[in-house]
Amino acid sequence: MLKRNAVVFVMLVVAIMGMLAAGKYLDRSRKHGPAKLVGDVHNVPAPNFELPALDGRKVKLSDYRGQAVLLNFWATWCPPCKIEMPWFVDLERQYGKDGLVVLGVAMDDTESSKIAEFAHEMGVNYPVLLGTDQVSDDYGDVRSLPTTFYIDRNGTIVAKAVGLLGRQEIEDDVKKALSAAYRPASQPSRAEAEVKSARAKEATR
Amino acid sequence: MKRQLPFRLIVFLLTSFALAQTPGEKQPSVIMAPVGKVQLRAGGSANLALDFRIGPDFHINSNKPRADYLIPTVLKLDPSEPVTIADVKYPAGEDMSFAFSPNERLSVYSGDFSINTMLKAPANAAAGTYPVKGELRFQACDRSACYPPRSIPVQFQVIVVMK
Repeated sequence: MLKRNAVVFVMLVVAIMGMLAAGKYLDRSRKHGPAKLVGDVHNVPAPNFELPALDGRKVKLSDYRGQAVLLNFWATWCPPCKIEMPWFVDLERQYGKDGLVVLGVAMDDTESSKIAEFAHEMGVNYPVLLGTDQVSDDYGDVRSLPTTFYIDRNGTIVAKAVGLLGRQEIEDDVKKALSAAYRPASQPSRAEAEVKSARAKEATR
Repeated sequence: MKRQLPFRLIVFLLTSFALAQTPGEKQPSVIMAPVGKVQLRAGGSANLALDFRIGPDFHINSNKPRADYLIPTVLKLDPSEPVTIADVKYPAGEDMSFAFSPNERLSVYSGDFSINTMLKAPANAAAGTYPVKGELRFQACDRSACYPPRSIPVQFQVIVVMK
């Protein structure tokens, strides 16, 4: 009797876990599409977002379709993040004419004026957006800073770096992001086609 | 032995589930050593060292980091009346420079460190056991990345005895 109860209990635990995981996935899928990043993110569409910038305007990732985006999650309390900032400034100057855009996402839990002051001191010349838990979650629960995503002109992630890398590695990833030719929306990438197909299947269920 | 099997299976499943929820990157850990009985005479004071251990490969800012933008380690204690916290003494940080910024020295704690506190009870305090609750807030980094500030609970009991 005891043994049977234990087996039933185990099955119950497994079933509840399964339902919780499935429910969480389906809920997120309905809201944002299956673009929440989990595991290997290479060749996966970058989740879109709309975040406030320090200058007050709203910035969407999709506004930059056709350009390569270096998306850098950082915080004022993160010394390694400080090291990269002058490199990003240089890289945007160097590759901006080729279509590189740098977007900083500040993950600080502090007033935007302090973030602005810090960015100004660091000579940051690119837009700094105010990060949210939602965007962190969408990008795979960004906890380690700096974390940088390199997104090509078609909105596909071509590289992800966690922690501080050398300048040359960063530049190599920038070149990788710039190398893909832009395909207008009428010509979706393979990753986008897969997402569309998955959404269509979900809708017909 | 057979009876333990379901229990082990549950532990295994729960652990697997927890690990599956954790992103690939390692996360810093700071733990506090258990505090034994803290006895305090009414009208007197007692020193108490709270011992903490930081996980290997990580460091946290000391209580006096070298830059305004860094988040200091802070112990907040909320004793039950009539116990009061008369003093909190943080250890000096260790000046270290890291590969990510070889020219900048940071004041940090790594490995084990202790924070010394002084507890007091007034002469008219009633004998009894009084809980002290609080938290240690810190912000950790390793050699190439930093992690959001977080807090761990700090909790112990103070036994006030009569003179």
